[in-house]
Amino acid sequence: MQDYHEFLAEVLIDESTLQKRIRELAAEINRDYQGEDLLLICILRGGIVFMVDLMRQITVPHAMDCMALTSYGVGARASSGNIRMSLDLQTNIEGKNVLLVEDIVDSGHTLTHVLEMLKTRNPKSLKVCALLDKAGRRELPVPIHYRGFTIPNKFVFGYGLDLDEYYRNLPFVAVVDPNKYKPSV
Amino acid sequence: MQDYREFMEEVLVDEQAIQKRVAELGDQISHAYQGQELLVVCLLRGGMTFAADLTRCLTVSHTLDCMSLSSYGVGRYATSGNVRVNLDLLTNIQGINVLLVEDIVDSGRTLAHVLEMLKTREPQSLKVCVLLDKKYRREVAVDVDYVGFDIPDKYVFGYGIDIDEHYRYLRFIAAADLKKYRKGA
Repeated sequence: MQDYHEFLAEVLIDESTLQKRIRELAAEINRDYQGEDLLLICILRGGIVFMVDLMRQITVPHAMDCMALTSYGVGARASSGNIRMSLDLQTNIEGKNVLLVEDIVDSGHTLTHVLEMLKTRNPKSLKVCALLDKAGRRELPVPIHYRGFTIPNKFVFGYGLDLDEYYRNLPFVAVVDPNKYKPSV
Repeated sequence: MQDYREFMEEVLVDEQAIQKRVAELGDQISHAYQGQELLVVCLLRGGMTFAADLTRCLTVSHTLDCMSLSSYGVGRYATSGNVRVNLDLLTNIQGINVLLVEDIVDSGRTLAHVLEMLKTREPQSLKVCVLLDKKYRREVAVDVDYVGFDIPDKYVFGYGIDIDEHYRYLRFIAAADLKKYRKGA
């Protein structure tokens, strides 16, 4: 496995900036859901690290559930087709306040499909919290109620985001220099 | 939702002790897999917090995958039957070093089933890392390679472990006095 220092173009968001922003997002969520019950939905696998850190700052009563999605097309992020749910929620969301927690929103296609699908289950409310917003890549308008950072259209990794499944564990978000990155076989 | 302070008997492992021990386990695992590739398998949903923190303490290159299991029996700790896989690994583990990351081992039945099942896929190695080991409850012998803490036979919650889906967000591990706990209150 290649050492990430070899292809790291820049650290886009460092650890302390990430953690500070997550505390701010949690404070907003705590304020908005005061006196309400909340279900957080983690989209596997990229959202795990963000979810775990965010959840630990959320003080309003909440439960957490997971969904795993794959697209029928090629490449999860490049998808414009339908979404296949590999793991559905264990929770019945009817009448519940639901907050979808995503690592990154890109074209918005996947998120749009998920939101449409979840709406058919009649939640009380349905909102989105995204750590990273690649707004320049948006093809479909999606509501992002809690946004960590708007980032440029660069190839990013770290803090849950993988490069060919690696480097999810880095505590910061970094940009790849694609000319220097060699995917392992 | 009931305030956890109303039914908390004691804090079993505080935040500082958890983080210190997780870092130690991260060192140990990094040392053991030095120069090798590793797949960390997170068992949903209880293992997410531990896996997110543990992987951030790993210095060896690794990938992360998830499994979601439920038992055909009744109750999370009362299981004695077979295990149902709700979400299987995306990764083919044949010839790969696999480390299963679990929040807690109790009777050992679920873990024994998962290990047997994964062994049929012929990984290069298959080891287990659990944060909490309730040794006194063991009914089936399982090899646990890395243990965070041995704990007494108490009903625990926090740090990823829920009571009726709540309280996973707590940054410490506590014991519940179930006589004082009111479901859905």
